[in-house]
Amino acid sequence: MVKSSSLALAVLLAGLSGAAIAQDKPTLTIYTYDGFASEWGPGVPLKEGFEATCNCTVNWVAADSSIGTLRKVQLEGEGTEADMILGLDTAIAGEARATGLFADHGLDMSHLDLPGDWMDEQFVPFDYSHFAFMWDTDTMDTPPASFEELIALPDDIKIAIQDPRSATPGLGLMLWVKAAYGDRAPEIWEGLKPHILTITREWSESYALFLDGEADMVLSYTTSPAYHIFDADDHTIKAAMFNEGHFPQIEVAGILKSSGHQELARDFLAYLTSVEGQAHIPTTNWMFPVVDLGDALDPAFQGLPQPEKTLTLDEAEITANSSAWIEEMLAAVQ
Amino acid sequence: MLTLPHRPGRVAMASVLTAAIAVLIVAVLWAILAAAREGAESSRIDIAHLLRMTALQAGLTMVLSLGVGIALAWALNRLRFTGRDLVVGLFAAAIVTPGMVVAFGLLSIWGRNGWINQIAEALFGVSFDSPAYGLSGILLAHVILDGAFAARILLARLDAIPHSRLKMGQSLALNAWQRFALIDWPALRGSLPGLGAIIFLLAFTSFPIVLLLGGGPANQTLEVAIYTAVRLDFDLAGAVRLALTQIAICSIVILIASAFTPPPASLSHSAQPSWRDAGPVRVLQWSIMALGAIGFALPLLSVLYDGLAGGLLRVLAQASFWRATVTSIVIGGSSALLTLGLALILSLGRSAAERRAARTVLGIPAFAYLAVPAVVLSLGFFLLVRSSGVPAGAAAPIVVVIANSLLSLPFAIATLGPPLDAIMRTRGKLIRSLGLSGWGQFIRIEYPLLGRDIGLMLALAFCFSLGDLGVIALFGTQDFQTLPLMMYRALGSYKSNDAAVIAALLLIFTIAAFVGLPRLVERIAHAPRR
Repeated sequence: MVKSSSLALAVLLAGLSGAAIAQDKPTLTIYTYDGFASEWGPGVPLKEGFEATCNCTVNWVAADSSIGTLRKVQLEGEGTEADMILGLDTAIAGEARATGLFADHGLDMSHLDLPGDWMDEQFVPFDYSHFAFMWDTDTMDTPPASFEELIALPDDIKIAIQDPRSATPGLGLMLWVKAAYGDRAPEIWEGLKPHILTITREWSESYALFLDGEADMVLSYTTSPAYHIFDADDHTIKAAMFNEGHFPQIEVAGILKSSGHQELARDFLAYLTSVEGQAHIPTTNWMFPVVDLGDALDPAFQGLPQPEKTLTLDEAEITANSSAWIEEMLAAVQ
Repeated sequence: MLTLPHRPGRVAMASVLTAAIAVLIVAVLWAILAAAREGAESSRIDIAHLLRMTALQAGLTMVLSLGVGIALAWALNRLRFTGRDLVVGLFAAAIVTPGMVVAFGLLSIWGRNGWINQIAEALFGVSFDSPAYGLSGILLAHVILDGAFAARILLARLDAIPHSRLKMGQSLALNAWQRFALIDWPALRGSLPGLGAIIFLLAFTSFPIVLLLGGGPANQTLEVAIYTAVRLDFDLAGAVRLALTQIAICSIVILIASAFTPPPASLSHSAQPSWRDAGPVRVLQWSIMALGAIGFALPLLSVLYDGLAGGLLRVLAQASFWRATVTSIVIGGSSALLTLGLALILSLGRSAAERRAARTVLGIPAFAYLAVPAVVLSLGFFLLVRSSGVPAGAAAPIVVVIANSLLSLPFAIATLGPPLDAIMRTRGKLIRSLGLSGWGQFIRIEYPLLGRDIGLMLALAFCFSLGDLGVIALFGTQDFQTLPLMMYRALGSYKSNDAAVIAALLLIFTIAAFVGLPRLVERIAHAPRR
């Protein structure tokens, strides 16, 4: 009796000390958007890969959108659990920077392979793609090769786009038109108006409209066709290349000043931008990696057409004007 | 004037709950204001235009849905056919199915590439301009959601017309129109203001459907502006201002509805109707039934068809699917029981209130939640949880259950309120002469008579929770996901086939709950079966 109870006590204590050891492992809490942390996203393999080396636990916290992650941290203020935010993009990086919440990462980014050089003290890029309109070879013979050609198509050719106020690609399209046409942007939007089937809240709804054959084209990414090639060897969905050039989406991660795990967060960013970490990105997030993976890049991505020209806008200009530009766009398509 | 049994306890409890719900809403708004710092000034949204558009859309939705609901309920009440229960279940299922699912089902029938257009192409080589986009698309989707729900609730009222009245009407040889005007209409009238208010508010605050089918910023609602203020501009004070605007407008609608809801006159269970309407009217009833089935059932059937053809086994083999299913069922079940408690307290209190003013006040909390924009509500809950010091992960299930209960409350009260009122008014004398206590009254009289209605209410609340995408979006994590959230995540990861399967399964669960729960609870309650 005594024996068994002391045995039980020993087991219990062992269990407790095991729990205590588990408690000693630091936890790296990363806020990201829904899709990244979902079971199909890159969150799962990245967590596994990093935990194998770091003696820590990676804890993904999913917000409903990338801007949602930033808002969540702003609302939580000093008491936030987040050590870093992953999934902001270059269109909202300026606003994020202005909050003063982000620490310098201090990492060397010279090995990266991106359209344009990457010089950023706070943010580290982890994938990129260009915005583009998708078309379906089964229903369209020749895709438009510019915004003007798209506008010149018959009115019954419809496109599905996203609301710039709620969806990252929607904001990207608005910036794309602005970067390509500047003050002529409202004119382009007025021309597009008859072709707009609808403006959805998120990317998913508009893409579903395109796949269902409701819309002839949809605003998505140059890398979207890779999913269909990879998933079902389906080569019918292609990105239309525009002469004006394309606006990129570069997704970034940043460490919060308030984090107690600065060192660990830096290690994670180093892993995220290493060849090993990057190898997980293409076939889970359907974007291009930011390092040259060589033959390790899935063949679905190898033959994708790339824009001749990458358009850019100055970050400060985006931050100062994006609200006014959104209003200008909405007024033109109203 | 009849005197109701004196039940001060019931009125007191309902009053306390009403106050608690009011305090919660104030706390939510207060939490957001307290968190507001110097944000960017909101973009200059044309509020007047948004309000005009929203009110027009919601008003049209309400009128159309009530009209369609009355016609369908009338036809369903008169007709008996195999599969009628399934049709009734399907009708009720529409309103609690995630809006996205219904909208995509609608598009697969009415869309540019929908069945109707494909058939027209094949037969006549022409295709129509799709009615599924713009204002007409929004109205179509809303009427499918709300009209079917209205039909379900109104059918319950028609089925509760006492046998004796029908016999009397039959012996007076009333024609179909007289029968509707003299017998059906008084039974329906009591439910219309409340139902109308619910439908107006639902349409007023509708967000995903309006954005998906609206065609652009011309058809947007105030809810979109609030979302923008919170997300894009981070102008929390502006968001609260807009939310208050919305609450003010919705409150007017709520007050009108609460003040004008007359107590219903009757309660019983309909026997098989031996009284049929004459030939031409019967043809009309069958036509309404057929149109209703095509209009309401086809979009849902197309969801089932797309889903079950999309690789059912692949989804069923995913462990995460089963985890999400269990989470959904636990959340749905808890929130259904909580809703039942809240709805009973409020409805019992309201039915016992003798003064009109008291009835009006106690009718308000039913709708309160509908008036508060979802994005503001989830944000406020998030801040309240945060300031209480509970980790968000631990509080998530509780918050989701409470929020979902409040969301289903208006529907629950629309279901339970009228029969409870009817019991108080028709059986008040009996209750007083028996000298029953409040508890005795509930156990011996109300509960047995309400079995079927409680079942319907549980099904509604359960499925509302099952289909909710609003609150879970802010509190969901990798480990805590419900079926709709999983569906939406699949859609966002290019997995549209998986999303279609989950949508179909959600719909099957929903219909099963609607067909099964009312019967089950009625059996448990030992209500006399006929």
